[in-house]
Amino acid sequence: MQTLLSVSNLCKNYKRSARFLSSGFRQALGPLSFTLERGQTLCVVGESGSGKSTLVQMIAGLISPSSGEIYIKGEALSSLSQQERCKSIRMIFQDPSDSLNPKATIGRILAAPLELNTNFSTIEIDEQIHETLNLVGLLPDYLDFYPNMLSSVQQHKVALARAMILNPDIIIADEILATLDISLRFKIVNLLLDIQEKRGTSYIFVAHNMNLVRHMSDQTIVMHNGLIVENNRTEEIFNRPQAASTKHLLQSHQPDYRK
Amino acid sequence: MLINNEFNEEKIQSPLQYTWSIFKRNSLAITAMWGSLILILITLFADYIVPYAPSTQYVKHLLLPPYWVEGGNSAHILGTDDLGRDSLARLIQGIQLTLGGALAITIAVSILGSVIGATAALTKGLKASILHHLLDALLIIPTLLTALILIVMFGPSYENSLIAVSLSLLPQFIRGIYISIENELNKQYIISLRLDGATNVRLLRFGIFPNILEPIITLLNRIFTMAILEISTLGFLGFGTQFLDVELGALIASSIVLIYSSPWLVFFPGLAIFIIILVFNIFTEGLRHAVIEGEDL
Repeated sequence: MQTLLSVSNLCKNYKRSARFLSSGFRQALGPLSFTLERGQTLCVVGESGSGKSTLVQMIAGLISPSSGEIYIKGEALSSLSQQERCKSIRMIFQDPSDSLNPKATIGRILAAPLELNTNFSTIEIDEQIHETLNLVGLLPDYLDFYPNMLSSVQQHKVALARAMILNPDIIIADEILATLDISLRFKIVNLLLDIQEKRGTSYIFVAHNMNLVRHMSDQTIVMHNGLIVENNRTEEIFNRPQAASTKHLLQSHQPDYRK
Repeated sequence: MLINNEFNEEKIQSPLQYTWSIFKRNSLAITAMWGSLILILITLFADYIVPYAPSTQYVKHLLLPPYWVEGGNSAHILGTDDLGRDSLARLIQGIQLTLGGALAITIAVSILGSVIGATAALTKGLKASILHHLLDALLIIPTLLTALILIVMFGPSYENSLIAVSLSLLPQFIRGIYISIENELNKQYIISLRLDGATNVRLLRFGIFPNILEPIITLLNRIFTMAILEISTLGFLGFGTQFLDVELGALIASSIVLIYSSPWLVFFPGLAIFIIILVFNIFTEGLRHAVIEGEDL
């Protein structure tokens, strides 16, 4: 079976302009290489400033990499059109109250990706929206609502529906669970795992809570100073951490175990 | 229709309807809104409601005071000036020229400024940079001074004064629009729309403009107020309307020598300027508060 996503030698440089007339490049990230299989979940962990967000934003297409290439189903991402890219990789932002347009109804928000990236007719768009709402467990009633009328879990579900509506291969989620409290968090986690089972979607998570990482992911990448220090099966990482920074991360979450 | 209509809501209010329902609660703002509408109606239908032609001279009635003052004549409600022209007719024409001009300027500046500001905000690189620095340079000069320089170049006339005032106010508006669009572009819902491959027009129409109503209202209000003041100032200085047409500033200037013998001639145009600015400001301020309140619910 073909590898779904493969990242090879991905780098991001920022131009340094610290001194007058001196030009140089600061290597912010990389070189990074890893792969992800279909239906698997990859978690990216690491301390803040280690380049987790930059990495996922490059995969999502928000930032263009300085060098290196991302392959999806064997094709280079830079050779794909915006539409093809949208259909295979979707991103969920951290806070749905920010990432849903407050002046648009849920129906509008969900229709926009379909209108822009598919040639669906109005009826097909409608069907697709209803199907996706059903998938994330929302009533079609909500289509006429505005985002600020919904609870935070419902907003998360809408954001998830917005990502799922194009049936993507990969969903990238940048710390989406951080703003929810613990019971609601598990609601969303279960929903995500449920969707993965039904649709075979792959996830890339940026996460902080190590327990959740252990619960959800199949594969974990530990990052430190813009480099991958460890990339292994999640169980391996938790049971036999190799790098020092992995050990630190695990230790910092010890209090959670005791509770 | 809703499946479980537990709250008995007839339908879901859109943000605009919600803002309107907040606005309706503010009775002062509603009054100001009707005041603004009446003023606009006066502007539109001035030719039909003036009692006399503004330039007709009634030589038998020179310098009449308003009719409620002793010596007044109810045929000329607000009295007459030193050439026997009816004050009310001249006042209404003055309101028509000043307010109508300011509204025209506001509309022209807002359309032109939005297009230029949006283009500047959505393009990157050399073009945006040039536009940027040029506008910054223009902002250094006070608007009234710009308007004066332009009117001296164009030659004094009412149309030229309108053009000069709009050109002098344009950089401010472009700047304001540019900044609010720029702020909006960093919001996550705009980024996610962008990731979906939305075109710039779509981005502006559905993503940006509905969310920058508040700064736009503030900007429009400021442009309008400054336009009224600048048109009157140019008129007062004699760069605006010539001879027969009178706008409020010119009206004050022509009767300033008579301020001791007939203060009414200066008082009413001044009051008109004051009321126009007050009414429109209360209206837009109420609108702005309603928009802000509607946004953070």
